[in-house]
Amino acid sequence: MSEFIDRAVVEQVARLARIHLSEQQLDASSKQLGEILNYVGQLERVTLPDDVEPFFGAIESVNAIRADEVNSSVDRDSILSNAPDSDGEFYSVPPVF
Amino acid sequence: MEISNLGASELVSHLSAGHLTAVDCIQYFLQRIEQTNQSLNAFVNISDTALQRAREIDARRASGKPVGPLAGLPIAVKDGICTSGLKTTAGSKMLEQFVPPYDATIVRRLIDADGIVIGKTNMDEFAMGSSTEHSHFGAVKNPWSLDRVPGGSSGGSAACVAADMSPVAIGSDTGGSIRQPASFCGITGLKPTYGRVSRYGLIAFASSLDQIGPMTRTAKDSALILSVIAGHDVKDSTSAKNDVPDFTRSLEKPLTGVRIGICREHFDEGLDPEVESCVREATKVLESLGAATCEIHLPHTPYAVATYYVVAPCEASSNLARYDGVRYTYRAAATDLEQMYCQTRAAGFGDEVKQRIMLGTYALSSGYYDAFYLKASRVRRMIKHDYDQAFGEVDLILGPTSPTTAFSIGEHSHNPLAMYLADIYTVSANLAGVPAISIPAGISASGLPIGLQLQARSFDEGALLQAAHQFQSVTGWHATKPPLYQGPQT
Repeated sequence: MSEFIDRAVVEQVARLARIHLSEQQLDASSKQLGEILNYVGQLERVTLPDDVEPFFGAIESVNAIRADEVNSSVDRDSILSNAPDSDGEFYSVPPVF
Repeated sequence: MEISNLGASELVSHLSAGHLTAVDCIQYFLQRIEQTNQSLNAFVNISDTALQRAREIDARRASGKPVGPLAGLPIAVKDGICTSGLKTTAGSKMLEQFVPPYDATIVRRLIDADGIVIGKTNMDEFAMGSSTEHSHFGAVKNPWSLDRVPGGSSGGSAACVAADMSPVAIGSDTGGSIRQPASFCGITGLKPTYGRVSRYGLIAFASSLDQIGPMTRTAKDSALILSVIAGHDVKDSTSAKNDVPDFTRSLEKPLTGVRIGICREHFDEGLDPEVESCVREATKVLESLGAATCEIHLPHTPYAVATYYVVAPCEASSNLARYDGVRYTYRAAATDLEQMYCQTRAAGFGDEVKQRIMLGTYALSSGYYDAFYLKASRVRRMIKHDYDQAFGEVDLILGPTSPTTAFSIGEHSHNPLAMYLADIYTVSANLAGVPAISIPAGISASGLPIGLQLQARSFDEGALLQAAHQFQSVTGWHATKPPLYQGPQT
């Protein structure tokens, strides 16, 4: 596998991740991602029996269910106190378009 | 009384017996922080209510009212764990101004036990790193040698305990972030079983791997803290309902009949010979205490780091999507919503965090999912299977915590992959969910601590703490302090 990831792919990934990268950062990322992907690419060469199921989490429990009761939670004012911008009731954001 | 020589358990005894007030205890450590933090950068924020809390506890005790099991004990908390009303940044510019409106469950439990949160410790941004160089608030220095890293990501927690700035620190461990810094700083660090300790209020990095645990001088102190923080929490549906024993009760049990497996794959190429000989010596000590040792295999160990560096970034890319400029304090200037997301994340995250989000986004994207995330999760199943097999034969697995002693600041800054390989012996425990501990087992010729790692079956932290305590009963490495920080000069 190449040590570099194609610039167009890096740009697409940055777009998906909603991170603006400068031209210089795109170049650096193309190299660093390439190196890491090259390293983790060794997983492709591990041969596993077909019946090996993926292990997604260290506790394979069934759904955790609790009684559907109303409990007190953190109040809106304290939550909104961390908002960059709000009208006291909702989060405010710049225009969508 | 010479507080500097006392661990958490001894402090609690003296506080309880009235030999020491909570105020004197807190004042001592606040003074230590003031003297030392400028050179180490271990704390990012000091509590301004700790002394008040100490006064309240002293008053309560004096009036004969009941106090909790940790009454008056100072506790440093990693800055990725939410503390109500006390800034919690996760080492990131993104959360530089974030003041949580609630306590993490473990913080609540420590406070309910009358422990006192003394401050928040520095860390790699969002716990991504093995050196605590990737903090928005600057690198933490190793108390044993100021040009070395303390390990990471809980580097501030490890350094503050090693330098006698707090008898206890809380860390979090996603791939070794408690154990590797404990090893580099010469302290004891325990990663409990996945699910043993509630993650509610831990700022998420990789949710299937993250676990909170104690960092202390001794195993006995870790047992004390784990007994308080462990247990099911309705606010974390992945927290386990298993009974929580008093972990301090089984420490004195002799090691006779305990079977310890020496993992062959942990002694392969890349291991510093000095670390190896130290771990071999420690093995003899455990044998002399009655443990039986044999060689075992964890054959998928060579793939653990690659598996981890797919799984963890995938989970991180999803967890960190919430930092978009809407809810969590930081927002970059922008004229529309899309631009706000992209600019906020560009300016709010550091390079290593961006790199891992990119890696995870790539590995989860259409066309790559099967080759990366799915394949890594299948290899993860084999890594877990290796442990299941091994624990059919032995009770504990022994090896080095890290292949080297603390490396120099900046040594790996242009080679992230070399940094990732520092986690080679620690990531498997997170992938499989088993508990593991790092304890001091020696000092290198250049004067740096060497750590020994023990791993156990899920929910058998008792066995880890027992073996670690027995080892510490006949060795003195855990009591050896960095020459620079041996407490107040007399």
